[in-house]
Formats: sequence, structure tokens, C-alpha cells
Amino acid sequence: MAAKEYDVLIVGSGHSGGMAANILAEKGISCLMLNAGPQADFARDRVAKPVYELPYRGFGEPGRHPHIYQATEYNANQWVDEREVPYTYDADKPYNWVRVRLVGGRSLFWARESFRLSDFEFKAADLEGTGDNWPISHADLDPYYTRVEGVFKVAGRKEGWPQFPDGNFVETNYPADSQTIKKVIDLATKRGIGCSKGRSAQGQNGLASSINLLLPGALATGKLDIVPNAIVREITTDKKTGLANGAHFVDRHSRREMHVKARVVVVAAGCLESTRLLLNSGIGNSSGVMGHYLIDQIYGINVVASVPEAMNGKAPQGLMGGSTFMPRFRNLKKTEKRNFIKGYCVRISSGGNANPEYFASYGEELQAKVDSYAGACVSGGIYGERVPRFENHVRINKDVKDAYGIPVLHINAKDSQNELNLAKDAADTIEELFHEAGWPTISRTERFNPPGYSIHELGTCRMGDNPKTSVLNRFCQSHDVKNLFVVDGASFVTCGWQNPTMTILALAMRASEHCAEQMRQRNI
Amino acid sequence: MKRRRFIQSLAAAPAVPLVAQQAAPPAPAPQAAPPGGPFGRTGPADPPLQTVAADLAAQPVAPVFCNAAQFAALKKLGSLLAPPLAGKPGALEAGAPEFLDFLLSVSPAESQKLYRDGLNALNAQAAKQFKVPFAELNATQADAILRPLLSVIPWVEDLPKEPAHRFIAQAQRDFRTATQNSREWAAANANSGRRGRGFGGGIGLYWLPIDPVKG
Repeated sequence: MAAKEYDVLIVGSGHSGGMAANILAEKGISCLMLNAGPQADFARDRVAKPVYELPYRGFGEPGRHPHIYQATEYNANQWVDEREVPYTYDADKPYNWVRVRLVGGRSLFWARESFRLSDFEFKAADLEGTGDNWPISHADLDPYYTRVEGVFKVAGRKEGWPQFPDGNFVETNYPADSQTIKKVIDLATKRGIGCSKGRSAQGQNGLASSINLLLPGALATGKLDIVPNAIVREITTDKKTGLANGAHFVDRHSRREMHVKARVVVVAAGCLESTRLLLNSGIGNSSGVMGHYLIDQIYGINVVASVPEAMNGKAPQGLMGGSTFMPRFRNLKKTEKRNFIKGYCVRISSGGNANPEYFASYGEELQAKVDSYAGACVSGGIYGERVPRFENHVRINKDVKDAYGIPVLHINAKDSQNELNLAKDAADTIEELFHEAGWPTISRTERFNPPGYSIHELGTCRMGDNPKTSVLNRFCQSHDVKNLFVVDGASFVTCGWQNPTMTILALAMRASEHCAEQMRQRNI
Repeated sequence: MKRRRFIQSLAAAPAVPLVAQQAAPPAPAPQAAPPGGPFGRTGPADPPLQTVAADLAAQPVAPVFCNAAQFAALKKLGSLLAPPLAGKPGALEAGAPEFLDFLLSVSPAESQKLYRDGLNALNAQAAKQFKVPFAELNATQADAILRPLLSVIPWVEDLPKEPAHRFIAQAQRDFRTATQNSREWAAANANSGRRGRGFGGGIGLYWLPIDPVKG
């Protein structure tokens, strides 16, 4: 049987690949989607189990997922197994690379927090006097954000703040704030810190994934074929033109080598897997920038305090509970002088318990302490922005190959003093708010997780107008290979403090429409 | 079948003498072939056979990681760190020492060393201070050894670096999890009318291996 030749090959099926398929297929463009892993069936592949019936009583198989803090024994089988697809790093620069290879990728499991980037991120260099701007602004992406928010049914509260752009939100009724949250809002407002609510994609039936919001529409056109268990090892190019003409892939089960032809290749394998594929293919890197400027966000800072009136189970009705969300409030003006650039958001929650590990105690005495704090705690944490730096990079480690014989990534990422200073400022600020409220600190840490933990790895194929300093143009199109697009988070120039999913989706939508138009005009 | 239900079903069975059973007439032949074809219960429509969890039918072999002195110290440590409280089982009632001994046997070398050295140190300190193994200390004596080794951990990744403190912090964390995730803890929750979600003896959605590669 003769193999089909598709208009577009899409590598990856998460949010970005799903968006590409949705846009392109609905324009009548034939697409083949290759996905490295199998399709999960939520009904067939999950069973209800008491924790004591798990083989390791909830601890998980020792050593199975050493870098995935999010892994539990319940969800261990959803993540990529590092023994099958390893990566390397220097011992003093740990990196947590958290991957999903199921059809739908990480869109199956994301936290659904849905924020736009603002021009404080798109045009960061203008404000900070260092680094690089994106070649696009919020205004360029605004119409795409609006459409994406409609598809994903984003719930949020409009504020009119430039660092927290409003969007196309579904109406949401938030419960009345508790007295403790009102107090935090009052104190923060006096400091010039705006307090809002989180913004979250409602999706359908609790799922806001490519598999239920994007791919069904694409499949309904009859223009999309999806092949699971297809691990792409190399994008192939025409020797005469240098243009991409397809890809080699290996079947995950049989290990049979296959090749598919396509007019255009869209890479959407999830930032670092996309960059790994491009580096292994040896294309698109005339700038030498590919693999560099790896960024993600800081998670981990935590301050916990107790509310005296709520101790020992005596909280009156309405005192405790709920949360408030403070979008970035640092470094919004050029005149603001701090020992760090960029910013962070803060989430304050009320009504929690104290972790037993906050007390140097044990046995009955410890339990009495924990009980006394039950429901009486307020806590604050952040998402912070890391600085893009050339030296934070990935490269191919030819000495190590995965189970399919494909060379792995070596990841080299380390935090700088800027991240440390930002984290300290965040912990100080939260603690000061709690102290002003009269709530003594139980626990405080300004430490944060290693790079990668946020599962928001971004950059390494940054976009820009200058082909000498960027990999992609403003439409996520390779400067070097005109019929090659990278539509996931690899194109980011700065990461912001925001969950990047809405931006990835908006960029993928914009890039895909540009791709379709270029194809229509026969430019590619 | 849950152990209690199994015992209940035994209790409900009529106490018929063996001789009487042997003398009973044979059961009548079935009117129709059993579902699933001539080889019995092989059809996909048949419900799965009822099975029983291994820990309801047998005792774990322990210790497999610790030596006898270390295991005695581990059990003593569990009884101190996670005693029975408020109607909930403690570490010993939950079989936590036996479980952790197993878990350590399949854990990375770093974890094994932390526990082995830590348990040996407890025994050595008990012998030095009180001339008996750690397992034979009374509560006051054990507290004199344990309390100086306690730590405050502001963040999950901030386990103390000093090995003795790190061991106690890790053991405290592990005994808490092993106890609260036990069948016995879940039974106590059920008896009190409380239901956990995911952990704390509760029920969660477990992802089976998804289209695993064979071989």
C-alpha cells in the first residue's frame, strides 16, 4: 500500500500540536500527527484503589521517578520513565524534566491556570534595560488569546491592570472572602499590591485538553490522521532545497523504522523534546542560539502563619477560608530600584493546617500541636520569573541514547543571584503582610525547587526578528528552514510568572494560521 | 474478601460434622452448561474471580533489610514516633516497621545507608548512655536520645544535612506515611465514619500501565 503524502506533519499532540491540527485541518489541509506514546483511556486505564492496596503503600516504586516531584504511586504510569528516555546534567546542576508522552501530552494533566503574558514580559528589555524583547507585543497576540480563552472557557475576574491583561472570560461568581482574606487584601492594597482571583480554564467535564477541545474538531474534518507510539528520531530535509520533507520515526512497540513525507513540518513535542529533535536533526540552527536561553518559573517559597482567634478549633464562622491572588507587583516602573529584575505573583490561602514537620516534636505531643493549628493557618506561595541567560542551555549528549537509540539531552541550567534575591523579597513581603495582620509565623522558607520543577520549561528556540540571534521568526517559523515551525513553548523569549499555556495556545494558533496562509500563497 | 467479612462468612456457616458432609448426597447436575463455553469461566462477560490481598492471607517475612538489632530499634522508633492516638492505629499496629523494612530492601543505596547507620547509632547511643539496646529503653530514656535529634523542616526539600538528624526526620516522615496509608488506618477511619481521599488510608484513581512495551 502506497504511503500517503500529507500537507503537514505535526510532531506532538499536546496543547500546541492540538491547536495546529485544529487550525490547519479546518482549513482543509491534510495533517498527520505523530505522537511518541500511546493513547490513554480514562475509563479503561484507571481503577479506584485504596492506597494500602498499592504495591508500595503510596510511597511509589523507589527510584522510579527521581526528578518528578509531582509523581505519586497513583499516577506513576502517566509520566515518561527516565529509564526508557533518560537525560543528563552535571551533578551540581540538577534539573527536573517532567514529561508525558500520552496522546494529548501534558494537556491531560495541567493545572488549568490561565493567564496572559503582558507587555511587562513581551517588552521586558525596554523596562529592564537588559535582555531581549519579544518581536511581538500583547496587542499582536490579543485576538488569539481571546479566541483561545473562548475555546477553553477561562473563568476570571477583570481588573484593568496592565501587568495582568484581562481576557474573554466566562462569568464566575466567587464566594465572599473570609475575614482573614479581607484583611490580607486590605493590607496589600495599602502597599499598592492589587489582589484578584485566579484565572482557570473550565474546559469541558473538568478537562481542558487537546484531546477534548482541539483534536475532535480536527478529526471531524477528515483531514487529520493521528499515529500513536511513533517516536520521531529525525526531521528529514531535501538535499537540494534544504527544506523539510518529512520525518523518520520508530514504532514504539515493534521498533520498526518508518518514514513519512510532508510539505510542511510543525514541531510541537513540548519545548525540550522539540529542541532535542531539531538538534538531533541538525537543522535550523545557523544562529547557534538553539538550545540556549532555557527558562522556567520558580516554585517553592512558602510562608505559613497562624491566626490566634482560630487556634484550637475556635475559628468563628467566616473567619477562615478562601484565597486571594496577587499578580506581579514588583518592578512595574523603571524608577523602581531593587536588587532583582522581573517579578512574581503571590497566592494567599486561608484555613489550612500546619505540616507536622514544622515542629521539633514527636508522638502524642506532636499530634497535640498539629491539632491546635488545624484550620487556623494562612499560607503564601509564589510563582516567580527566572531570567533568560545564554549559559542556561541544552545540548545533545551523544554518549547516552534512549531505548530507541536516539541521543539524549544534556541540560545545563542554574539559578543566579537574581532568582535568590527575588525569592527572598517574596518571602519577606508575605511574612510582613502576615505580621501586620497579627499572625505569627509558623514556618518560612525562601528556598525553591530546581529548574524544571514548574513543568513550564520554555525557550531554547527563541523567536526574534534577527536570524543571527534567534531561531524562529515572530510566527514561530524557522529562519533557516521556511517550511518548519516550532509551535510549543520553545519560542518564548521571556517566561513571565504566568502559567504559559494560554500563550502557547495563542502562539500556536497564530503560527498555524500564518502557516496556512503561506501554504495557500505557495510560499512554502 | 475483607478479612472481617471472611471471618463473618465462616461464622455464619452451619457447623456440620465432617461425617455428615461426607454422607450428604451429591449435588444435582446443572441444568445448563456453565457460561463461557465448555472450558468453564473463560468468557469475557463473566465477572472476574474473587481474590484476596496477600496481606490478608499471610504475614510478611521480616526483617529482610535490617538485622535483628536494627529491626528491634526500628520497631521501637516507630512506636515512639507514631503511637496509637485517638482511636487510630500506631506504627506497630499498622505493620509499618515490617513495611519500611521491605521498602528499604528495594530502595537506593543512599536511603539504605541512612537507615542502617541511623539505627546502629540509636543502639550505640542507648548502650553508651543506658547500657541496653534502644529497643529496651523506657520512655524517659528514649526521649533523652530522641529529642536532641529532632528538627524543624520548613520545606519538604529541607531535610537536615547532619546524618543523625536527617535519619530521624526521614523516619518520622516515613512512619507517618506508612501508618496512615495502612489497611488498619483505613479500617479505623471507616469505623469512625470518615473517608479519606487518595491518601490517609483513602481511595484514589490508579493509572494502570498504559499500553506498555513488552519485553
